[in-house]
Amino acid sequence: MDAGPCQKRRGLASSTMGEPLRCRGMYDLLPADMERFRWAEEVFRRTCLAWGYREVRTPTVEHLFLFTATGTLTPQALGRVYSFLDWDGWSGERVVLRPEGTIPTARLYVEHLSGQPLAKLFYVQNVFRFAEGEARREEWQAGVELIGDTQPLGDVELVLVAREVLLSLGLANVTLRVSHPGLVQALLAKLDLPAEERLRLYDGILEGDAEALARVRERIPELGAPPELLLTEEGQGLAYLRNLRSVFLPALPDLGAPLDELETVVSALEGLGLTPTVSGALVRHFEYYTGPVFRFQVGDRLVGAGGRYDSLIGLLGGRDVPASGFALYMGELLDLLTPPQRGDGQVVWVEAPGRSPQEIAEAFRAVRLLREWGRQAQVVLSPDQAGAPRLRLAEGRYAVVLADGRELGAADLERALALLTQGESRA
Amino acid sequence: MIKLALPTGDLRRPLAALLERAGLRVQGYGEGSRAYRLPAEGDGPLRVRVFRERDIPIQIALGNYDIGICGLHWVEEFLCRYPRGDVVRLGGLPVGGTSVWVAAASGQWGGLRDLAGRWGVRIVSEFPNLAEAFALAARLPAYRVVPVWGAAEAYPPEDADLAVVAATDESALAAQGLAPLHRLLQGRAWVIVNRHSLRGKDMGWLLSLLADCGLEAGEGLSLPPPLSLTRVAPAAPPQERTTVRIALPDGHQQRHVLEALAEAGLEFEGYAEGERRPRSRLEGVEVKVVRPQDMPQMVALGNFDLAVSGRDCLLEHLYRFPSSPVEMALDLGRGAFNVSAVVAADLPAESLADALRYWRERGVGTVRIASEFVSIADHYARSRHFWRYRVIPTAGASEGFVPEDAELLIEGTETGRTLVENQLKAIDVLFRSTTCVIVRRGSLQGPRGRLLSSLLERLARGAVAASARM
Repeated sequence: MDAGPCQKRRGLASSTMGEPLRCRGMYDLLPADMERFRWAEEVFRRTCLAWGYREVRTPTVEHLFLFTATGTLTPQALGRVYSFLDWDGWSGERVVLRPEGTIPTARLYVEHLSGQPLAKLFYVQNVFRFAEGEARREEWQAGVELIGDTQPLGDVELVLVAREVLLSLGLANVTLRVSHPGLVQALLAKLDLPAEERLRLYDGILEGDAEALARVRERIPELGAPPELLLTEEGQGLAYLRNLRSVFLPALPDLGAPLDELETVVSALEGLGLTPTVSGALVRHFEYYTGPVFRFQVGDRLVGAGGRYDSLIGLLGGRDVPASGFALYMGELLDLLTPPQRGDGQVVWVEAPGRSPQEIAEAFRAVRLLREWGRQAQVVLSPDQAGAPRLRLAEGRYAVVLADGRELGAADLERALALLTQGESRA
Repeated sequence: MIKLALPTGDLRRPLAALLERAGLRVQGYGEGSRAYRLPAEGDGPLRVRVFRERDIPIQIALGNYDIGICGLHWVEEFLCRYPRGDVVRLGGLPVGGTSVWVAAASGQWGGLRDLAGRWGVRIVSEFPNLAEAFALAARLPAYRVVPVWGAAEAYPPEDADLAVVAATDESALAAQGLAPLHRLLQGRAWVIVNRHSLRGKDMGWLLSLLADCGLEAGEGLSLPPPLSLTRVAPAAPPQERTTVRIALPDGHQQRHVLEALAEAGLEFEGYAEGERRPRSRLEGVEVKVVRPQDMPQMVALGNFDLAVSGRDCLLEHLYRFPSSPVEMALDLGRGAFNVSAVVAADLPAESLADALRYWRERGVGTVRIASEFVSIADHYARSRHFWRYRVIPTAGASEGFVPEDAELLIEGTETGRTLVENQLKAIDVLFRSTTCVIVRRGSLQGPRGRLLSSLLERLARGAVAASARM
């Protein structure tokens, strides 16, 4: 009953016919999982509210076309969405189970909030993406979107909000990586390849495909330094950014603008005592990122990512408004969290003397009174629950059954509770 | 025992000859036998079953058959929607040969680039998954794919902007009034294998035999590069159409419809001869011939004002899209048949309740329902409170699925003779289907309502007269 996190590593119940009743890749959250989930959600909500963000929730089902236009999701990502014709889909227009949170929130902004110069929004909602085998196909994301002309302050704020949430959850060993899609784009633009091919190459590089790197090296001999230095190496903060600038800028002048943007954010973070790791290539399958991107890891687990997406609002039909955001991955967080113990004291169990309506009412009346006095109280519903210490009602009097099996009589509920409290404190 | 799925249709004769030359004789296959299971003589135990081509990748993926042969376009149609399906492409055989094209009405578009940034492009296709893959790769904004059972070439330019169609070459497209914009794939008859069978089942003798036929590698799907995101100004709203557009069916319903039209004193020149665009002598009336299964959606979209379809097609549409604005305006009472729940004749059950009880007692975890009418079958299973079930879509010839590949069929039955021939029996009748006239809700009050009403009245009078004579 109390097992967790989730059930992904445990044997699961099957139907009598021997096949799992649960859909593949979908998981229940058991009580222990939900305690962790609600705690993470509470910390996230509290932090966002304190930074001035307001909560929204978008529908689970959206039009597919929101995600298919150029500059939103890549074809690889779209190949894993749950899309279908709705009950009223006779027009042939497909809908999709929300595959990520940013595009729906951008849509919400365009439809409801576009008059506002600045929208600070957050959400906790599930997303659906096909995954192989037993990997999760439904994920929960705690996301923040900052829509308005906030660069570069907004980028720095988002990093700080995300970090505050992770630290408030008691996570140690939190690392921050930053990058800019403009770095890889500047390099791949030199290859003169069709966009689809460029994306494939980009993914290959991120997956550590040596052949993909060799192709880059082959096609840009004038680069000077090996391309892997830009694409796969990592370094620390401003110092590394300056090294990259010195090595690559002469051959790739288009690197100038993304390096400038990254330097501003990294400098500000260093001024706050944070030195992020700088990486050449970071995000996958999201075409909408246009500026600095970042991701948080705890150990080797990716727990959150985000970045700037200045073109997205315009692509969805709104006026061109810059924006940025991040999402924390609740599934990953749940595996890492130990929720704080609840300091709400011990439950007072009340045992009904019998099963007559009067006796049942008497037990629940006692429980109601105890709750009014600020105690957690429950009626013993089945013999399996009858743990000690507890109060037993018997012929208008109360018997306190202590942990050692002794029974003490009391004339009224108040005295019985006092006896029980003494017994608890002695135990 | 190796299980082999072979295609019906045009591939039969050349494929039978090729297999026979390589040492595998499938009795009756090349001759067009109507039987679904055919005896075969090869170097090992073999069970052969004949399917419609489009069903073969599904049967291989389900693991019902180990090896299948069908056109590459049906393999790709399956795999581009279910890339992780248990279907392994082995190679092409030197028979058949067709391409799948993205095409438009001649002269409608100069090329793919004309579609860049154009919102709401309507794509009609028998290959909706290939059409979807094309639209995604080209990054068409807010496109709409309308799946059809056939006759996709009949839709552009009035009822679709693009059609994704199979044709041997560009001249075959031109003969249908279409111009190619992009070729998605080119392939012959393809050998496919179930992944698990390939990994663990000895099929050596048959695979060697197929390899001896000359298996060749082929090109995969050729998707276009993303089109640039040019913002195209929204097109001016189309002018209100003043003509009444009628859709008439091809196939087995055509005979009944010709009779109904004759009773109503309506004649459309070229319809009896199989033309896609028959001519009308009535002023303000246009006619097009499409598949009856596709008519409800086309009427819902407003492409046609009136269509002569079947009650089965209408219900299939309405069960899938309950809010669709299509309704039956007139029952012509012709071409009647039952849509029934059908099981193996030797199943000890006389009713659905008996059958469900029997399967449950025998440990059948999932009841497999094969049907052309996917939504009707699904609705039936839901409303009759089936436990776990799976609807296997078929392109027809469902009778051959029971008992090996399905427990239950939802099938049209006219005289019951086909059921008896295939050792099947009906245990429930879902409804009786007849030829009917369908319209868009409210269309009789619309601007073309008077003409539409007069056509309906003529058809109704004809139906009454025919009924009085019977």
